[in-house]
Order: sequence, then structure tokens, then C-alpha cells
Amino acid sequence: MDMKDRPVANPLIVLREEFDDWAILFDPDTGNAFGLNPTGVFVWKLLDGDHSIDDISAELRESAEAVPEEVKDHLHEFVRSLEKQGLVGFEVAG
Amino acid sequence: MKQSERKKKSLYIKENPERCTPDAKRPSSEAPLEGGVPPAERSSKPAHLEGSIPIYPLNCIYFYLTEGCNLCCRHCWIQPKFQNGERVYPSLEVDLFKSIIDQAKALGLGSVKLTGGEPLLHPQIGELLDHIEEEGLRLTIETNGVLCTPALARKIASCASPFVSVSIDGADAETHEWVRGVAGSFRQAVDGVRNLVEAGIHPQIIMTVMRRNREQIEDVVRLAEGLRADSVKFNIVQPTARGEKMHETGETLTIEELVDIGRWVENELSATTPLRLHYSHPIAFRPMSRMFGEKGDGCGVCGILGILGVLGNGSYALCGIGETIPELVFGHAAHDRLADIWENNAILKELREGLPHRFEGICGDCVMRGICLGSCVAQNYYSSGNLWAGYWFCEAAKKEGLFPGTRLEGGRRMKRVEARPSL
Repeated sequence: MDMKDRPVANPLIVLREEFDDWAILFDPDTGNAFGLNPTGVFVWKLLDGDHSIDDISAELRESAEAVPEEVKDHLHEFVRSLEKQGLVGFEVAG
Repeated sequence: MKQSERKKKSLYIKENPERCTPDAKRPSSEAPLEGGVPPAERSSKPAHLEGSIPIYPLNCIYFYLTEGCNLCCRHCWIQPKFQNGERVYPSLEVDLFKSIIDQAKALGLGSVKLTGGEPLLHPQIGELLDHIEEEGLRLTIETNGVLCTPALARKIASCASPFVSVSIDGADAETHEWVRGVAGSFRQAVDGVRNLVEAGIHPQIIMTVMRRNREQIEDVVRLAEGLRADSVKFNIVQPTARGEKMHETGETLTIEELVDIGRWVENELSATTPLRLHYSHPIAFRPMSRMFGEKGDGCGVCGILGILGVLGNGSYALCGIGETIPELVFGHAAHDRLADIWENNAILKELREGLPHRFEGICGDCVMRGICLGSCVAQNYYSSGNLWAGYWFCEAAKKEGLFPGTRLEGGRRMKRVEARPSL
């Protein structure tokens, strides 16, 4: 199994869901806050180390209409950006 | 999550720190992840800046050009002297203005804001605008509009990306002039807006909300639509200088009223107009979708780490607060090098080292503190003598149980995502 394809949300990051379906990701260590739109929240909850990008893409297609063809590219880009901000990591095969 | 919403979303992180500046415009697209870039990373290298760049570039100077003002607004936080034509008060000398800009460009200057007093009251305002144009600096002007002639509007329009805001505090002359203190100023402000539009600038209308004009909020939006303004910003009376007196006499709104009006403006009124509406409550009260959604207007954080104020007498200060708090005046342009002040002033250094982790009170417990930066540290210092004190609006809201619970750090463990020990 390619562990690099199964991102895990940093457990120290706080997810705060709000009334408009958006959410805040807050890093208590740095004080940085980030906004997630409803799609981002949906994806964030699947960053559990069990779901691959393919899995998340499939779940997204199941749950939303008119998901674009390039959704996997978008997901990879999203996860890379999360990783760059220290919000996501990957399991290390032991 | 509604499916109709979800299907439209992009999944990119938009790393667009410019969105978190005072001059932030509408974001270009939606993104699931936004904001929160650490302050030191917020500024990009200006095109004209060569060689090494300081960690904190001086992005923008706020020029409080005149010590006098042609209006005497009852909520003004600067409290300039009333200049009614009989007496003229000092203005920033043109040579000092040019010298400051020359020095500031070496520190990263990309834009200037002209405010007051009343910037258009400056006797050499045309020469100042010419210099800004020659230097290619982005221009923001905050004006009461009264002196904005067609010729001056055209000169402003010739500058790089001019952004102009005009204060109109009521939908009729009686209300506006009750706030502004001068008969005839409503018609003159409206004419000023028309002159700007004629010159190609669609200004922002700024209305400061208080008990006297609260029923005219929607009417001001309709007035702004009719005048072809670009947007309407609703300011809250700050408890500083004259505004402090309004708070004491009950002429301002209660925190409950302010929070309610904010919700109404953002969730209902904004849906009825093509204009962008911005209500100036702290970021903790702003829905994420209003900041970063399709019609979002950014997070509007105070740019305190990249700005410096210059007062009408040539003093350097944190901002206009230097007019009322002497210890927030850092020196004078006639005898201090700007670089010395920008790089070595103890208060500026303290802010750079302390923001945002040194905040106390509600700001120390707010998850938005890294973006909000205390909403206004100058106001916080004015109220308490402490740069790190919590913002009055948020403190009052928390006391009344009105502060949004999702924005408080204290309850974070309630919704923490599941831990993965191997991460």
C-alpha cells in the first residue's frame, strides 16, 4: 500500500464547524487559523490515514453533483497545500 | 453541506496573503483553505526594492495630512481642530512628505493612504498627488468628500489604482449633518462622490453606525447604489477621543445591537444589493463564507506590522493614535531617519516580537488572533495602556455571552479530529 497516498490530518489541529457549513482549522501551537469551505470540510474529515485520494474522490462523487473531471488533481493539490502548512502528514510504514 | 454548494468548489489552497491587508479587495475565487499566513511571510518584495529586504517591509504609510478638518464629526477618533475658513491649522510640509516617501521606498513602500483631518484640505494636495503618481505608489484616500472637485477627482484618478472612500453618515442631510456638524456638508459629500464617479473612480461609502442613524443603514445602501459607488463599509464608533464621549453618553449602540446589525448586514442586507457591504466588526464575528466565499471581501486585518503613521506636524507615530497618545509618537521626520525608527523603535519591535501570542483577555483566547491581530492595538492601548489588551468589542460581547463559541480556543478539544499516534 502506498502510504503517501493516505494523508492523515494533524491531530493537533482543531476543526471548528460553523453555521454556514464552513469551518476553521486552528493550529494552537502557531496561532494560525485557516478557513475551509464546505468541500474542504468534507475532505478534511476523510484525511484519516485509511482513505486514499482515490477513495476520497469516490466519496466526493457519491456525495456531490457535477464533480469536475480533474477532481483528483484538485485533491492532490489540496493535500500538498495542507502538508506545506503542517496541517496534514502521512503514516510511515513500519 | 448542501450539494449545490459543494459541487461548485475548487479544492485549491489559495495562498493569497494580500487578502489579509487593509486594502483587501474581493477574492478572485473560492478555496477550501484560507488565511493564517504568519505575519513575517505576509509581504512580498516590491518591484522597485533592490538588495536585501527587511523582515517587515514598510508596506504603507498613513499620512494624516492636516491638523485641521473642515467638518467636526462627533465620533472622530482623531479629534482634529475645526478649520472653518477663518483660521488655518498646520499641514504636513511638502518637502517632508517627499523626503519620507523617498526614504520609505528603500524600506519597501508600495502604497500610501491620505487621511486626516481631511486630506483634500491640504493646501498643496495637487502637488502631493502629482508626487504619488510620479512615484507609482498605490493610493488610498479617506475623505469627507466636501472638497472633491471635478478637477481634483480627475487628478486622483490619474494615480495608480486609486481607492477612495467617502464618509456619508446618513441618507439625508439632517442625519448626516447631525453627525458631521456642518450645514451643507451632505450635498457637498454627495457631489464629491458624483465627481469621483465622473472621473472613473467608484468610491466606497463609509457610514459610521450609531443610535441616531441606525435606521438609515439600508437607505444609505440605496443611496450608494444610486450614486454608483463600489461598496459600503459600516464602521463602529470606537471609544477613542470624541467617540469615547459618545460611548459615555449613550449615543452609540449596545454590543447586542451591534452584533445583531452585523448579522443582518452580512446575512440579509448584503443579499439585496449588488454592492459589496462590509461591516467592521472583528473577524471573530465574520462568517468564513463572507470572507472567503464567492462574494467574500477578505478578512480585512489591521496591517499594523507593515504600516507607519505620519501626523500633520511631521511626527512619526504608530498611526493617527499619536494625536492623542504621546507615547505612540516615535520621532519627527525633520530630524529622525525613517529607517532608524522603522527598524529600531521599541514599540514597533515589541509588536513584531509579540504579535499574536502575547495577547491577553479575549484576544488571547481567540482562534482568529493570528489574522485579526487584536483588531486594533492602537485602540486597545488607548483603552487600557496595554498593547496586548483584548479588543473592547470582543470583551463586551464575551461578557454578554455573544462571542461566537467556535472562535474561542478554550473549547477546542470538543471537536478535535481523531489522533493518529504515528503522525
